Amino acid sequence: MQANKDSDGGWRTFVWNSEKKEFLGRTGSSWLKIFLFYVIFYGCLAGIFIGTIQALLLTLSNYKPTYQDRVAPPGLSHTPRSEKSEIAFSLSDASSYKKYTDAMTKFLKKYDDDKQTDQMKFEDCGGKCQLMPERFLKCRDTNCAVCCSLAHVVTLLRMSLSLCFQPPMNNSVEEFLLPKLKPNLIPIFCKNKREEDADKIGEIKFFGLGEGFPLQYYPYYGKLLHPQYLQPLVAIQFNNLTLNEELRIECKVFGENIGYSEKDRYQGRFDVKFNIAS
Amino acid sequence: MGYGRSDSYRVATTQDKDDRSPKKKKGAKDMDDLKKEVPITEHKMSIEEVCRKYQTDIVQGLTNAKAAEYLIRDGPNALTPPPTTPEWVKFCRQLFGGFSVLLWTGAILCFLAYAIQAATEDDPAGDNLYLGIVLTAVVVITGCFSYFQEAKSSKIMESFKNMVPQQALVIREGEKVQINAEEVVGGDLVEVKGGDRIPADIRVVSAHGCKVDNSSLTGESEPQSRSPDCTHDNPLETRNIAFFSTNCVEGTARGIVICTGDNTVMGRIATLTSGLETGKTPIAKEIEHFIHIITGVAVFLGLTFFILAIVLGYSWLEAVIFLIGIIVANVPEGLLATVTVCLTLTAKRMAKKNCLVKNLEAVETLGSTSTICSDKTGTLTQNRMTVAHMWFDNQIHEADTTEDQSGASFDKSSITWISLARVAALCNRAQFKAGQDQLPILKRDVAGDASESALLKCIELSCGSVRAMRDRNKKVAEIPFNSTNKYQLSVHETEDLNDNRYLLVMKGAPERVLECCSTILVQGKEQPLDEELKEAFQNAYMELGGLGERVLGFCHVLLPEDQYPKGFAFDTDDVNFQTKDLCFVGLMSMIDPPRAAVPDAVGKCRSAGIKVIMVTGDHPITAKAIAKGVGIISEGNETVEDIAARLNIPVSQVNPRDAKACVCHGTDLKDLSQDQMDDILRNHTEIVFARTSPQQKLIIVEGCQRLGAIVAVTGDGVNDSPALKKADIGVAMGISGSDVSKQAADMILLDDNFASIVTGVEEGRLIFDNLKKSIAYTLTSNIPEITPFLLFIIVNIPLPLGTITILCIDLGTDMVPAISLAYEAAESDIMKRQPRNPFRDKLVNERLISIAYGQIGMIQALGGFFAYFVILAENGFLPTTLVGIRLNWDDRSCNDLEDTYGQQWTYEQRKIVEFTCHTAFFVSIVVVQWADVIICKTRRNSVFQQGMRNKILIFGLFEETALAAFLSYCPGMDVALRMYPLKPSWWFCAFPYSFLIFVYDEVRKLLIRRNPGGWVERETYY
Repeated sequence: MQANKDSDGGWRTFVWNSEKKEFLGRTGSSWLKIFLFYVIFYGCLAGIFIGTIQALLLTLSNYKPTYQDRVAPPGLSHTPRSEKSEIAFSLSDASSYKKYTDAMTKFLKKYDDDKQTDQMKFEDCGGKCQLMPERFLKCRDTNCAVCCSLAHVVTLLRMSLSLCFQPPMNNSVEEFLLPKLKPNLIPIFCKNKREEDADKIGEIKFFGLGEGFPLQYYPYYGKLLHPQYLQPLVAIQFNNLTLNEELRIECKVFGENIGYSEKDRYQGRFDVKFNIAS
Repeated sequence: MGYGRSDSYRVATTQDKDDRSPKKKKGAKDMDDLKKEVPITEHKMSIEEVCRKYQTDIVQGLTNAKAAEYLIRDGPNALTPPPTTPEWVKFCRQLFGGFSVLLWTGAILCFLAYAIQAATEDDPAGDNLYLGIVLTAVVVITGCFSYFQEAKSSKIMESFKNMVPQQALVIREGEKVQINAEEVVGGDLVEVKGGDRIPADIRVVSAHGCKVDNSSLTGESEPQSRSPDCTHDNPLETRNIAFFSTNCVEGTARGIVICTGDNTVMGRIATLTSGLETGKTPIAKEIEHFIHIITGVAVFLGLTFFILAIVLGYSWLEAVIFLIGIIVANVPEGLLATVTVCLTLTAKRMAKKNCLVKNLEAVETLGSTSTICSDKTGTLTQNRMTVAHMWFDNQIHEADTTEDQSGASFDKSSITWISLARVAALCNRAQFKAGQDQLPILKRDVAGDASESALLKCIELSCGSVRAMRDRNKKVAEIPFNSTNKYQLSVHETEDLNDNRYLLVMKGAPERVLECCSTILVQGKEQPLDEELKEAFQNAYMELGGLGERVLGFCHVLLPEDQYPKGFAFDTDDVNFQTKDLCFVGLMSMIDPPRAAVPDAVGKCRSAGIKVIMVTGDHPITAKAIAKGVGIISEGNETVEDIAARLNIPVSQVNPRDAKACVCHGTDLKDLSQDQMDDILRNHTEIVFARTSPQQKLIIVEGCQRLGAIVAVTGDGVNDSPALKKADIGVAMGISGSDVSKQAADMILLDDNFASIVTGVEEGRLIFDNLKKSIAYTLTSNIPEITPFLLFIIVNIPLPLGTITILCIDLGTDMVPAISLAYEAAESDIMKRQPRNPFRDKLVNERLISIAYGQIGMIQALGGFFAYFVILAENGFLPTTLVGIRLNWDDRSCNDLEDTYGQQWTYEQRKIVEFTCHTAFFVSIVVVQWADVIICKTRRNSVFQQGMRNKILIFGLFEETALAAFLSYCPGMDVALRMYPLKPSWWFCAFPYSFLIFVYDEVRKLLIRRNPGGWVERETYY
C-alpha cells in the first residue's frame, strides 16, 4: 500500500511490473506454479468428493429411498395449478384462462388413449383402466375453452404418490361420508371453506372412477418397478360457481393414515380460491 | 481485485489532501511554530528593560488600571482546556470505525436488496431484511461494548485545571494583594514562597534561597535554585526565570510576570500536546488493509457471478440481487465482535500485569513497536538520589543501589567508614518525616533536598538510627550550603561525655573541601595530604564524576579544647573558628540509580529487535552513565567521543560510522537538519539524547516515524507529553507520572515498571499472531457459506444453506472458538524475533486468504455439500435429479414435484427436507470447523508439538457442538429458525472432510518446517 501512496501509477505497476516482469505481483512462472497447485489440489478434492458421493450411492437402494418419513402422508394436488392458491380468470377473455387450459392439455397427454392401448404394459383390469372421465375427455377433445366458458370449471385431482403407500381398506371415518363410501375407493369430498359461501358453490360433479381414488392403484412401487404407472385422477366440475366473487373451496381425501397439517395446505387436502369474472 | 483495492485507496488519499490542504497548511504552520524553542528573551534583559517593556515598576508594580487593561488584552491567565471530544462523537467513532464500516455497508446493501425485492415482487423473501437488521444489531452492540470498555479504562482526570495555581500574591500600586491567579497579567510583580505554585512565567528580580522543582517541565529531579542573574542563554536553563505551574520548594522570590496562560512554557507544551494529531494505530491500518482485501474478494466474486447470472439468463434485477447477496455473504459478521473481544481480553490480561490500556486498539501497538524512546528520570531510574559509591581508605567502594537492598555490600568495619558515616549523618539537614517507622527505610519520605536524603538513607541503612546519632552529637552551630562557599558545615558536641572538644564536620564540592584539608584519614589514621594522595583523590573524583554521579567530599576535625572550650560561641555569620587544616575523610557519590528490572527489560527489548533510545532532559554524562548502566549503550560500544579519547585524536577525525553508540546533546540537536537527524537515527543503534526540550523530544519521535519505525514513548513528565501524544503508543507512568502525561498517553504502567513494557510487547505480539489465527479461522467458514448460494444460482439446485443458518454460524458457533484462539500460547519465543515490518507483515495477507478461502474453505464446502447430497438422496432426490430442479422446487404452486423414485412432494414437504439440509450443512460446517480451529492453533508447528492445553478452546469445541445440537433438536426450532432435527448418521457426513482438513494442514505445516523458505512457506505461511 505504501508504494501506491508514493507513486501515482502504483496500481498500474502492480498490475504489470515490466521491470520484474510481474503481473499482479507475480512472475509468470510463479503464476504457473500456483495455478498448477490449485488445479491439482482441486482435482484431488473433486476426486475425493466424487468418491464419497459414489460411496453414498452404494448405500442407496434402487427401489426405495432410505427415508420416507418426510413425504408421507400424501398430498393432494390439482391441475391446473393455482397461483398463490388462486384460480382466477375472466370468462369473456379467452387469454385469461388459456394458461389453465394449456396446462390441462399438457398434463393429460400422458393419459391419451393411444398410450394406454399397449396391453403388454397395462395389465388387464377389467375395463377400468380408462382413467379419464369420458365427459371430460370429450370436453378436451372438442374444446376445453368451451367448458370453461360455460363456467363449468374443471379441476383434476390426484393424490401424491408415496412409495408403498397403502391406503386403508376400511375407511369408515366420518359420518357425513358414509353415503359416499364405496368399497375400494378413497373418498374425496369438496366443500366451501367459508360458511357464507355455502350457497354460492353450486353443484360439484365428480368424474373418474367414482368419487375417489380406486384402491387397486395402490401401493405404488416406484419408477423402476412401475415404469408405466399412471396415476388415477378424479375430475371435479363446478357447474355453477357464482361469478365475480372470491370463493374458497376445500377438497379433502379421507383415510386413516392420511393426515392433515396446518402448515402444509396440500397435505391430504387443499383449498383453492376461485375468482371468476363474467 | 488488486485494481479495486489500490485504486480506492489512492482516491481516498488524494481526496483527503484536496479537501483539507488549505486548512491543514495553516494548522501545520502553527504547530511548527509551537515546535520551535521558547521565544523568551527577558532573561537576557536587565530588570529595567523588563520593567520598561511591561510598563511596570520594580517597587510599585502595575497600576490597577494597567492590569485591567492587560487582562482584557491578554485574557485570563489560564490554560485553554484541551478540546474534549463529546461523548456522542466518541460513541459514533466506535460505531463507524474500523470493521464497522464493512458491516454497515453490508447492512445498507441488504436493505437495498430488500427494497428492490419489495418494489418488484409481491411477496418478497424476508432474508435480506433480517440480515440487514442483524448486521445493524451486531455493529451497534459491538460498538456499545467497545465504547463502554473504553470509557471504563479512560477515566482521565481534568489535569490541567488542577495544575493552575489558585491564588497569587501580586504587588499593584505598591500594595500586596492576594488575587485569583487567573487575573495575573504580564508585568505584574509577584511574590512566591516555598510551597507556592508559580502563578505564571516570571523573570526573577530578587530571590532568597529560592529553589523550584522543574521536574515536570524538564525532567530534572533536582530542585533548581533561582536568582536574578542570567546564567544561560537558554531560557529553560537560566536561573532567573521561574515557570508557570512549577513548584517553589523553598525560599522566597519576587519577579515580574512575562508570560501568562497559553503563552507560558507550560501552556505552549499543553497546546502543542492537545494540538497534535495522532495517526492511526497499526492495528487500525491492518484492519483497513484487511477490509480492502475482503472488499476486493467480495466485489470480484459478486461481479463474476453477476456476469454469469446475466449469461445464464437471469433478469437484471435478479442478477443485481445476487450481486448484493454475494457481497454481503462475504462480510464476516462475527469478526468485529471477535476482534473486539480478543483485544479486550488482552487488555484485561495486561491490566492484571499493571499495564492499563486506555485505547483498545493500542493493545497491539506495543507488539509492532520497533523503537522505544524512553525518558530517563522516573522511567528508567528510580527518581530518587541514592548513594552509589564511596571513596575512602584510598579505595572506591560500591554501595547497594537496588530498590530491595539485594545488591552487594562493602566492608563496613573500617574506622574511616565510621567517621565518614558520622560526618554524613551530622552534616545533614534532612530528616525522615514523622510516623513512618513501619515502612522500609528506602520508602520513607524525607524532608530535605535530594542528595541529603540520599545520604540520610544510606547512613540509616548501614549504621542505624541517624536521629539517635544526632541526639548524641548535639549541633552547636551550622553554616548552610550556599553557592559561594559550595560547602556546608556544622559543629557538634562529641559523643564522649568526658570529651569536651567540639567536632566540626563539613561536606561540599570535593575540590572545595579538599582545599580546606591538610590531612587525610586512611585506615583510621590521619596522614598528611601529600601529592600522591591528592592524585589518588583526583582520580577517584574523576572516575566517580565520569559515572555521571554527583560527588560530595567530607571532612572533619576535632577542634582543640584550649582554643574552643565548652560553651564557645560559634559565630556562623562572621566565622570565628577554624575552617582550614581539616582532615579529609572521603567522598560519597550519588546517582538516581536505574530500576532493578530495567537492564533486563532493555536486554529483552534488544533481543526482540527493538531499538531503545534514551531521550532525557538530564545532563549528557548522567544520561550516558545510566544508559550504560541499563544497557541502552551496551558494553563495548563506544561513542564518537569515546573513540576520539581512546585514539587520542580530535572528534572530527573519527568516522561517525565506526561508532555504534551516540550521545546527542539538545543544543546540537537544534542545529541539525532533517537529513542529519535521519542520519543519526539510522546509523547509530544505541542513541542517547540528553538535555532535550519537550519540542525536541517530539522532533525525535517524528524523525523515527519518518524512517518507518513504529515508536513507543515512555515518560512521566509534562515535558514528555507532546512526544507521548505523537508516538504510535505513549506509555505514561502511573505513580510518578504527571496527569498531563497520563492524559496524552495510550497506556499507563500502573507500577511505573519499565519491565511492564516487555510484557506489553509480548502480549501485543501474541495478540497479533492470535488475531491472524482467529481471522483465518473465521474467514474459512465464509467459503462453505457462500458456495451454496453460488451453486444455487449456477446449477439450479435447491438452496443448500440459508441466511439464518449462516448467521447461526457466524454469530453463534464460530464465536467462542474464534475468541478462544486469543488464549493460544505462542508457538515460539516471540521475544526473540524482529518486530514486524508494517509494510510487509500484514495481519491479513494474500496467503491467509489463499489458505482460508482457496484451500481449507473449499474442503469445508465439500463437506457441507456432501451432507446436503446425502440427505436429499436418502429422501429420494439423487444428485442427478437435483440439477436444474430449482424453479419447480421453489414454486409454491407445484405440489406434486417428483423425485428420483417417482414420489410426489408437496411444497411444504420438500421445504422441510430443504431446511433439514440447511441444518445438516450447518452441522457439517461445525464439524469441519472443529478441524479448522485445531489447525489454526498453529501456523508453523504441528498440533502435536503445540498440545491442546488451551482450555478455552476445548470448551469452545464442546460449546459449538452443544449449540449446534441445541439448534437442531430443541423443540420449536422448526418454527423459530426453520431448523430441523437431524438423524444421527447425518452428523457424520462431514467427518471424513474434517479429517482431511487436519491431515492436509499437518502435511502443509510439516513441509513448511522441513523446507524453510521453500515454495510451500512462500505461498501458504500466513
